[in-house]
Parts: sequence; C-alpha cells; structure tokens
Amino acid sequence: MAMDTKNVIETRGLKKTFLDFWRRPTVEAVKSLDLTVRQGEVFGLLGPNGSGKSTTIKMLLGLLHPTGGELRVLGARPDDMRAKARIGYLPEVSHLHPFLTPRETLRYYASLFGMTRVEAAKRTEELLAMVDLAQASDRAVGRFSKGMARRVGLAQALVNAPELLVLDEPTSGLDPIGCREVKDLVRILAKTGVTVLMTSHLLADVEDVCDRVAILDGGVLRAEGKIAELLRQPDAVRFLIEGLDDEAAESLRLELEARAGRRVRQDYPAMSLETFFLQVVAKEGRARDFALAPFLARPAAGQREGGTCAEA
Amino acid sequence: MVAFMTAQLTKTAGLRRTLRQLAAIAGTTVTESIQQPVAFLILLSAVLMTLLVPVFQFHRFSEDGRLARDSGLSCMLVFGLALAAGTAGRSVAEEIARGTAAAVIGKPVARATFLLAKWLGVLGVVALFWCGVTAATLVSERCSAHFLTRGDFTGYAADPVTLLLAFAGTGIALATAAVRHYMWRRRFGVSAFLGVMASQVLVAAVSGFYNRFGQLYPLVGEAACEGCGGGHAHGAARLVFYHPELNLRVLPVALLVLFALAVFSALATALATRLQTGAALAVCATALLFGLAGDSLWAVAPLLSVRGLAAGLLPDVQHFWLCDAIARGGQVAWRYVAEAGVYALTCCALFLTVGCAVFRERDLG
Ligand SMILES: Nc1ncnc2c1ncn2[C@@H]1O[C@H](COP(=O)(O)OP(=O)(O)OP(=O)(O)O)[C@@H](O)[C@H]1O
Ligand SMILES: [Mg+2]
Repeated sequence: MAMDTKNVIETRGLKKTFLDFWRRPTVEAVKSLDLTVRQGEVFGLLGPNGSGKSTTIKMLLGLLHPTGGELRVLGARPDDMRAKARIGYLPEVSHLHPFLTPRETLRYYASLFGMTRVEAAKRTEELLAMVDLAQASDRAVGRFSKGMARRVGLAQALVNAPELLVLDEPTSGLDPIGCREVKDLVRILAKTGVTVLMTSHLLADVEDVCDRVAILDGGVLRAEGKIAELLRQPDAVRFLIEGLDDEAAESLRLELEARAGRRVRQDYPAMSLETFFLQVVAKEGRARDFALAPFLARPAAGQREGGTCAEA
Repeated sequence: MVAFMTAQLTKTAGLRRTLRQLAAIAGTTVTESIQQPVAFLILLSAVLMTLLVPVFQFHRFSEDGRLARDSGLSCMLVFGLALAAGTAGRSVAEEIARGTAAAVIGKPVARATFLLAKWLGVLGVVALFWCGVTAATLVSERCSAHFLTRGDFTGYAADPVTLLLAFAGTGIALATAAVRHYMWRRRFGVSAFLGVMASQVLVAAVSGFYNRFGQLYPLVGEAACEGCGGGHAHGAARLVFYHPELNLRVLPVALLVLFALAVFSALATALATRLQTGAALAVCATALLFGLAGDSLWAVAPLLSVRGLAAGLLPDVQHFWLCDAIARGGQVAWRYVAEAGVYALTCCALFLTVGCAVFRERDLG
C-alpha cells in the first residue's frame, strides 16, 4: 500500500521481534502494525503492560530497528536527521545525566539541536519556568524525585519546539497537579498545530486529551478510532442540569418517563477525585501559577462538577 | 543556482550542528567522567606513585633519574589504560544500558557522531590525565638524586624543594576542591582532578626559576646553572633567570604514550558499544599485553604465523613505548613521533569505524 506523506506517522505491517545473543527470536513485541497519525491530532496509544507501545515508539525514533514493515515519520525514514530535528521525545523513564543540573541538562539537549549558546540559554530559562523547576535548577538531577525528573524530561522533549511530540507515559510519577499541567500542555500544544502521540495507563487522562486512540494488545492492534465514536452508547441520552432541587428533579424525571415511554434513571454525579485534590491543594493559585496559565483558555474537558445527571 | 546554494547552506548548517553536537557530547562526557571519584583516584595514584620514586629510591640504575622517569611513563601507560577503558565503559556501555544514549540518539544526532564524540570525550579525559602525569614524571626525574660536581660540591644531590612543592601542590589542590565544594557547591571531583593536574604542571613550570639547591637564578648576569642535571652545554645568550632543569627529552616519549592511550580509548569505545566496562577493560589489557610482548611472545610459537595475523588486528604497542630510546642522553626524533601519530590515527579510525558499524546495528531499547 502506498504511504501518504501528509500523515505525520504512518506504519504498514510494522514488526519487531527481539532476538537473543544467538539471534534466536525471543519476543514478538509488535506484529504487523498499521497505524496512521494525522497532522495536528492528539493520538493515544493504549494497551496493557508489555503490549508493545514503547517498542513501537522506539521504532518511530530509530532507536530500535524494525524486523519488517514500513515506517514513515514526518514523511521520512526514522533515521532522517532533518525529520528528527522536528520531533520531541519523552522516553518512558527519564534518562538523564545524574551529575548535571536541570539547567545544564536542557542546555545540553538544546545544543544537540545545533542551537547557539544564547539561544540555548534563553530556551532553557523558558522551559525551566514552564515546568516549575526554576528553584531546583541548580541541583543535580540524579537526586531528583521521580516527578521532578519527569518534568526535566518533559522540558527536554520541548527544547526544539517540535512539530511532533512523542510522549511515553508522560504522567507517570507526576502528582495530580503535574498530571493536570501535562494534560493542559498537550491541549495547548495541539491547538498550536503540534501533533502529539502519547501512551498512558491512566485511561482517564487519555480520554481527557486524545482525539483518537489505538488499543494494542500482544503487539496487535485491537481497536482504533475517535474516542467519541468508540465510547458512544448509541441507544442512551444523558442530560446534565445544575442547581435543581430534589423535588423538581423528581417531577422532571416522571415527566420525561411519561414523554419517552421508557424508564429514566437519575443520579447525582460526584466531582472527580482529581478536581477535589486540585481544590484542596490549590493554595493561592498554586495550580494556576504554572507558566502556561495565560494560554489556559478553556476549562478542562471531562471535568464533572456538581449537578444533576439524568440518563435515559 | 538558488537550489545549489540552499543545498550548500543546509550542508553547512548540518556541519555546524554536527560540530556543536560533538562539542556538547564530548564536553559533557569529560565533565561527567572526571566528576567520578574513580577518575580522580586514578590520577592521584599515578601522580603519587611517580612522585614517591625519588623518596624511596634505594638503588641507582645505569643512569641518574632513570628509575623515576621509567616508573612515571609506566604509570602513565597502565593507569591511563585503566582510565581510558573505565571512562569509555561508563560513558558508552552504561549510558546505553541506562538509556541516556537512547535519549541522545532520539535527537537529531547520528550514531556515528555520538560514538565519535564519546571517543573525543574519553580522549579529553586521558589527555588531562596525561598532562598531570607527564608533569609529575618531569618533576620526579628532576627531584631524583643526580651526581654533580660544582665548585665546592661533589656528590649526589636531590631536589627536595621541588618535591615538597609537588606534594604540597597536590594537597592544596585537594583542599581547594573541598573548599569550593563546601562554599560554592562546585563539583569536588572536577575541581580535584583539574587541580591535581594543574598543580603538577605549575610545579614543573615554576621549578625553572631556581636550581636544585633551591637558589633562585639571578635576574641578570651569567646563568648559575651549576645544579643542572641535564648535562648539556648552556649558551651564553640564553635566558638566565629561567632555566627549566627538566629532561625535556621525555616529552616525545610521553607523547607516544598518549598516542597509545588514544588508540586504546578508541578500542575501548568501540568495545563498549557491545561489552560492559569490565569486559572492555579486560580486552584492552590483553591487547596491551600482546602488543607490548610483541616478538618475544610470538617467538614461543614460531610455527604458527599468528604474529602476522595479530598484527592486523592489534595495534603494535612497541611503536609507542620508547622508554629505552632516551636512556643515556638518547633522543627520539620528532619525525618518528609524527609517523607514530599517523599510525595511531589510522588505528583509531579503524577501531571507530568498526565500532560505528556495530553500534549502528544495535537496538537501543
Ligand atoms: N530490549 C528488549 N529485549 C527483549 N525484549 C524486549 C525488549 N524491550 C521490550 N521487550 C519485550 O517486548 C514486549 C513489549 O514491550 P514494551 O516495552 O513495548 O511494552 P509496553 O507496551 O510499553 O509496556 P508498559 O506498559 O509496561 O510500558 C515485552 O514483552 C517486553 O518484554
Ligand atoms: Mg512502555
């Protein structure tokens, strides 16, 4: 099948079999994967542990050599340096030089993109402020907590203002504030036209930010499509009404039942634990002093707050 | 025309980026490697072992100062090999295992660039080590007892002043590194490594201002070079207040050792793309042994023409080990050094090419 170069990521029959020392096959991590990620979308790669998500991502970045199949990233092969210069990658585990400080780490990665000292220094300060590490910027990253190292990793992935951002479990190790910030960041980047490919075990996170998802299992693609389409229950409708007292709600339910001629269920949605946590720890704009705040135009989707919810 | 110029510009931009990448990766490798306590301990051991020879010298071999010189050069080769293999192993094998290499290769960095930069980094560490140990060797040879006849003095004279300065310099370097770490959180390993290295170079340089009896040379007037162990004639028109009584004939020999270390760095870097640090060190040590033993070893098995076979695979270390050539006032010609340099560069290029080919195929998962 011909590859469409307009797609940001395109794989056809992609395979990866790991070999042992004697070149005998050990694991078939990815089996004939067809995947398409289009310009400007946020794509979620889901799957249980060991399903081949990270393996796929590493093949996209030219870290692993595919055993078979075709692969195009930004219209080029994964080892094309010009294409790679337009990609940002956050590995599954933040691999950092333990003796460097976050500032040195970011300058180092900036120089790998050929930035001059001045450019690198400027970009570094912006990113440090963005991931909220400006205070810890002179401590060695080797002693950082998991979430702090993750933040450095995230900053490092953005150092070249990438067109394609590949995030392997970006929220792992982050506190709820961090998770929320990452999700906000992904949304903002997507608005500016950046294509994002991310994996995550936190399905709620994926649901919040991704336009399309693919579900891998045992190296095989099991499902793919728009989240809204995949999750839609075509034979049910749900209303959300705020500020209605119990009595009015009950009479409304009865009316609806009479009109529809079917049973109508009524419940009171709780706020999500994430929302609650953010409210508790949001001391004087803690969640908001994240440097992205100016970009945060719309409230997070999927954030369900108090109100009556009726489902038919 | 426009297309051609654009192509040229992208090429230069690509070249500039590659150079920046080389500098960044090599620089980080140097900082990270000399930050490790083991690197600094290797340097300190080599320097102290070299400086201690004049202190504990109970025998005199054929020539004054020869024992100090030979031990200094041996320390340079053996400790340097350990440093090269250890640094290569840590900065290549361990980075591959830890995933740091993958994070770098995930950026627009060609695998060949990465490996070349790693080699340059290892070479940088080895070169810093080499500066320190070369200076210590020169100092140690000067401080050894030399037989002198001077107007009112005939007999053996050591140079306790310089020796004391060399030890004190090492101590001060360590203390400074500790203070810098305490006061300004500067990396101890880096300060200590650079400090010990610089202290030896400084002592070697400063020792030119006085003779081995500790008397400063007069600023003007006739050279009071009586304490000189160099055994050469001094022209009347030379600088009188500065006279380095160092056996500078050691320099070409030391440079040859540096070439050998560069070759071993390349070998270790190439090996580290597949092997762990210990294994890479073992292979390098074996290569050194075989390379040095050369003919004497192969003579045991004259029937097998393995010599010819091995010569193609292993660098001939004998080309780089010319300690005996400068005994009794002998010289090593710079032309020879240049030729050996070309040979070393060829070996490095070969090892690195093989290393790149192996590394290109490797999965960084
Ligand atoms: N370098 C490797 N050598 C051998 N097998 C490997 C290697 N890397 C991954 N595998 C195997 O490939 C399979 C897929 O691994 P992968 O890391 O892609 O899973 P994943 O979907 O990212 O899982 P997780 O959700 O736990 O991160 C696993 O069975 C794993 O053991
Ligand atoms: Mg994974």
